[in-house]
Amino acid sequence: MNSIFVLVLGFIVAFVGYRFYAKHIDSKVLKADSKRMTPAKMYMDGVEFMPTSKNILFGYQFKSIAGAAPIIGPIIAIQWGWLPALLWILGGSLFIGWVQDYSSAMIAMRNDGASFGGLSHRLISPRARVILLSFIYFYLLLIAGAFGNVVVSTAITLKAAPMAWLFLTLGGILAGHMIYRWKKDIVLTTAITVIIALVGIWLGTVAPSDKILGTDLSNSRVLWTIAAFVFCYFAAVLPIWRFALPINYVASYIVFLGLFFGIIGVFILHPNFTLPAYTNFSIKIGPIWPIMFVTIACGAISGWHSIVSSSGTARQLENELDARPVGAGVMFVEMMLAVFALIIAGTIYASPAEYGVAIVKGPGGIFAGGVSKFLGALGLPANLGRSYGSVMMVVLAVTIMQLVIRFMRVATSELLSDVSPIFRNAHVGTFIASILGILLVLTGWWQYLWVLFGGANQLMASLALMLMTAWLMSEGKPVAWVFWPMIFMFITTIAALLFTSYNLLQKVLSGAVKGQDLIGNTLMGLVGLFLVAAAFVLGWEGIKAFNRYRTIKNQASVAAKA
Amino acid sequence: MGDGEKKKGGFFHAVKEFVYGVAAHDSARFALKSRANMEHLFILITMGDMLGVPILPPYYSLRLLPYVVPQISTWKRRMLREKDLTDALA
Repeated sequence: MNSIFVLVLGFIVAFVGYRFYAKHIDSKVLKADSKRMTPAKMYMDGVEFMPTSKNILFGYQFKSIAGAAPIIGPIIAIQWGWLPALLWILGGSLFIGWVQDYSSAMIAMRNDGASFGGLSHRLISPRARVILLSFIYFYLLLIAGAFGNVVVSTAITLKAAPMAWLFLTLGGILAGHMIYRWKKDIVLTTAITVIIALVGIWLGTVAPSDKILGTDLSNSRVLWTIAAFVFCYFAAVLPIWRFALPINYVASYIVFLGLFFGIIGVFILHPNFTLPAYTNFSIKIGPIWPIMFVTIACGAISGWHSIVSSSGTARQLENELDARPVGAGVMFVEMMLAVFALIIAGTIYASPAEYGVAIVKGPGGIFAGGVSKFLGALGLPANLGRSYGSVMMVVLAVTIMQLVIRFMRVATSELLSDVSPIFRNAHVGTFIASILGILLVLTGWWQYLWVLFGGANQLMASLALMLMTAWLMSEGKPVAWVFWPMIFMFITTIAALLFTSYNLLQKVLSGAVKGQDLIGNTLMGLVGLFLVAAAFVLGWEGIKAFNRYRTIKNQASVAAKA
Repeated sequence: MGDGEKKKGGFFHAVKEFVYGVAAHDSARFALKSRANMEHLFILITMGDMLGVPILPPYYSLRLLPYVVPQISTWKRRMLREKDLTDALA
């Protein structure tokens, strides 16, 4: 199969989904109305509620949802074969992904810009809100662990990555200082700091980490784990303009340029898939159902998107008609990003054996190899391309990680400040989050960690769809288009989490694992079980809410007949 | 923004806005949030009695009142709005 055919198929699915399915739901079911006041206009405060152009929001939504996950998921999932992975990416985005992103924005917009905590309190029950917020804490922890693993494995596999990462950090800090302290021109600042980051990518090829630190240190998981979490520590405790945001700013140019030219490279090279279309129903990570459906999260559907759509985008939409291009449109763009990652994994190795060797080391090397190959089509030397790809992978993971640790600090304060005032301290919250993250990275097998993260992510998505179903029922609108995706996601993710937790804890109880694996398996298994328990409670609360709305509807129809 | 203004920008204007959205919109929002939080804290200290916080407004609060009046409605809304962790996430 030629990769161009797969890309074209992706474009067709995106076109049909956006132009017909999404338009039908937008105009006929939710009846988006350009004359209805949006929260951005009604409650404009110039800060969170602010009418913003749909083009800006398109970029904002894309930047907020497109991290490392849509790239790593397909690279791992191709172990079942590229065809099932492709079908899930396309089908998941078409029937579930955009539905969740778009409907999360719409429900928040029609409810005065309320966040998910408030909505679950109002539409489901007070208990649902508490469970949801606790759930989010562990969800964030799994993001930190899974992405931390990606950073560490990339820094070990690709020796150019640490130098490029260091220069990007320096460029970012300088960008923050130039913009906010020296008040320098933004174009000049951007040019200088992006060039610094590019110099770091080149320096990475000249002075790789093993030349500077020696082989032992450059291959040390402990060293790079600590480096990743020290980076996140600074991001969490320093003012956000000083560290986290300017680094993200410079990184966005590096990532965007790499993706843009990489996709052009795919069109120029248009390679054939060399890996098999289908391998086995069950592989080392687990069976295709349910595990593949949580391994590929963001490229098909992701709970993270619902948080961005509801708490961020919905408060800035100036027109209800903009929810479709921003909510649904960006999801289809992300779907194309996942297709691009699948093409990379499926075409750059000559045989499944070569891929098998590469995937053991982590997805970073595979992605960097692909970027190198496709940028090579535009004339970039291979070693520079690999260095560029490695920093893209690190950047995509670490920029999400730093924000996650920052939010975990806030969450620790929110959840535990009543227990003891010490949890209000920024350093205590950050330290707890970092230690838990380090434990996961150092002791957990990264593929299981990824599956657990995917499970938590997809569970978040089914909870968002549950909120949407409850709201549609309360409004007396058709619910099938969100109800069935919710049922599918709920059953699939619970099954995936139970399967993974059982495997992990079974090894602990049978004494098959010892030392650090024992800690990793126990921690991951218990987190998985907690997520399942939280999901069951939320599911039960959801059923009670659905019955409540059904009873109200029946009573109303009886009264109307009378 | 009216239709005429939108057409005037065209494709390149849309690309420019998209790039701004990817690279800088988040930074701008966080900067605004930081400034707003400081302002709200200041108003809470000086005019907290408007929200039922039991402080006796000093003489200087009354001197400041005319400057605060335009912001009172949005300040009250932001202070009293239900918030949770997901507000910090996006």
